[in-house]
Amino acid sequence: MSDDKKTDSLQPEEIRSTRSPLSAKRRPRTDGAVSSVAKGSLSMKKPQAFFEERSLPAIEMTPRRLRYLSRRDVLLFGAGAVAALAGGGFLLPQDTLSRLGVRRNMDSTEKEWFLNKALRIDDDVAEALYSENRTVPTYSKSQITPLKNNYNGATPDPAYISGWNLTLDGLASGLSISLDIRNLLTRFSVHEQITRLVCVEGWSAIAWWAGLRFDDLLRAYPPISQAKWARVESSVNLDASGNPDPYFVSIDLATARHPQTLLATHFNGQPLTVDHGAPLRLLVPVKLGLKNVKAVTKITYSAEEPRDYWAERGYSRYDGI
Amino acid sequence: MSHSTPPASEPNSTSTLPEQPGVLVAKKHHLLVRWSHWLNVPILLGLILSGISIYWASPIYQHKPDSNTGNFDVAADIGIWICTHVPGLHHYGSPPDWIYNHMTLGPGMLALALRLHWLCAYSFMVNGMVYVAGLVMGGGWRPLLPRLTDLFDALRMLQYYLGLPLAKLTRRKWLHPRFNTKYNALQRTAYFSVPVAGCLSVATGWAIHKPMQFHWLAALFGGYNAARVWHFWLMWFYILFIVPHVILVIADGWDTLRSMIVGWSTRVKRSEAIANER
Repeated sequence: MSDDKKTDSLQPEEIRSTRSPLSAKRRPRTDGAVSSVAKGSLSMKKPQAFFEERSLPAIEMTPRRLRYLSRRDVLLFGAGAVAALAGGGFLLPQDTLSRLGVRRNMDSTEKEWFLNKALRIDDDVAEALYSENRTVPTYSKSQITPLKNNYNGATPDPAYISGWNLTLDGLASGLSISLDIRNLLTRFSVHEQITRLVCVEGWSAIAWWAGLRFDDLLRAYPPISQAKWARVESSVNLDASGNPDPYFVSIDLATARHPQTLLATHFNGQPLTVDHGAPLRLLVPVKLGLKNVKAVTKITYSAEEPRDYWAERGYSRYDGI
Repeated sequence: MSHSTPPASEPNSTSTLPEQPGVLVAKKHHLLVRWSHWLNVPILLGLILSGISIYWASPIYQHKPDSNTGNFDVAADIGIWICTHVPGLHHYGSPPDWIYNHMTLGPGMLALALRLHWLCAYSFMVNGMVYVAGLVMGGGWRPLLPRLTDLFDALRMLQYYLGLPLAKLTRRKWLHPRFNTKYNALQRTAYFSVPVAGCLSVATGWAIHKPMQFHWLAALFGGYNAARVWHFWLMWFYILFIVPHVILVIADGWDTLRSMIVGWSTRVKRSEAIANER
């Protein structure tokens, strides 16, 4: 080893030198400035192809230095492992920690902030992916699959249907408008689509829907000029024990204006049944199923993002898929 | 972590121990490769634990609901089977949840599991890019490329590993197949397919996470439902890789483990050292 500094200066350089055209491609030319490098490469058997594995450049090191480097890096990586263990443990849900035998409550506002940050990043990505021109795939009638009644809580008593009205609020006119199902069906043209509904749980169903476009409603009853959001709610929802549990979600108006966002009145060729949100439900295939509010009773436009039933329960807000 | 101090300038290392001979070492793994390799441990653990918690909400493998229990989840069946057949578990509180209580974050915490899964998934993608950057910067990608001879050679290695325990027991001679590359064919196949599986996991993950915006991606894997199945079995691929990976590293010894921590390996062929001398 004549020149330690050269061989050990830094590993990537070492590798670069073996990769350089001097050592491999121009080997036969042993003239002038390249001769010293070429002489060193003569022991290589043949010129190397770009994809061919190269031998690892070896250097001499005192055992003491190797021990020192090993000790240093093992300690560093050990510290990293402890930090990862602590950090990972800190982020686990409290239920999981309890099962692991951690008695103390590890929930904190910092933890919530950090984990919600991950949700918001994902929501921002989803929002960036959305394009008003990109339509979701449509299917043929033979591809229709069963759709279960996934009412959150109990299915409401159908008695509400006879007195049902859709109320619009936050309109440019400053009025509060109330529409019944006949108004809606006679004023607006009906569109059909066979699309997939995807649940946050992972299951999905292909169903045949018909109804009016949300966009048409927005044109007929324009919202206040600053409006960016719609709060879509159903006052008839019940919790699991049958008590009133109004359901409300936030929908950004860009999504509401999507040509495949419907206020559906029909399911598989029939008027909606109570299971599927009679007489009018939101069908927004570019969002998770949980935004597809059944039995919509009120839509309120606003400039600020409204509350969302599931965002308050730890799910994301935008839910674009 | 860069080795900014050349060994020649190490104070008094040669003068105090003049007799000590040097060891030949080679840098096996780039710093970024080593970091991203170890970061995969917590990230993959987080992805798997939160992933099966998400799976709980809507299992892929279902059957008609049991008339007695109403259970339809195959994973719950396995939990029930374990609790009836494993001694000491007969009094386990909720047998259908056994799998979810022991191999996941837990049942009934979809919102929490999704949050952690997104956090780990974005980390996994960044980490994967760091790994690839390390492979490119350190030239480590070349020894990973599959070769035409790998299929036969990998089978020979597999035969060696499978026969090794019996050979040890019967004290028979059992020779390790010879190879003169950084990795043997089986290693190369495994280490090449893990990053490929990583890309597939990310792709199927996006396909089921954004099945409308990325519907073409879901279609590539046979549709939304098929992409979920892909995503599930890719998890098993990591588990099936990690178990022998850890066993073989321990069996292979400290030098191999150290090379993934420190980077240096003392397993250097003499000829390479000579070739490297100027």
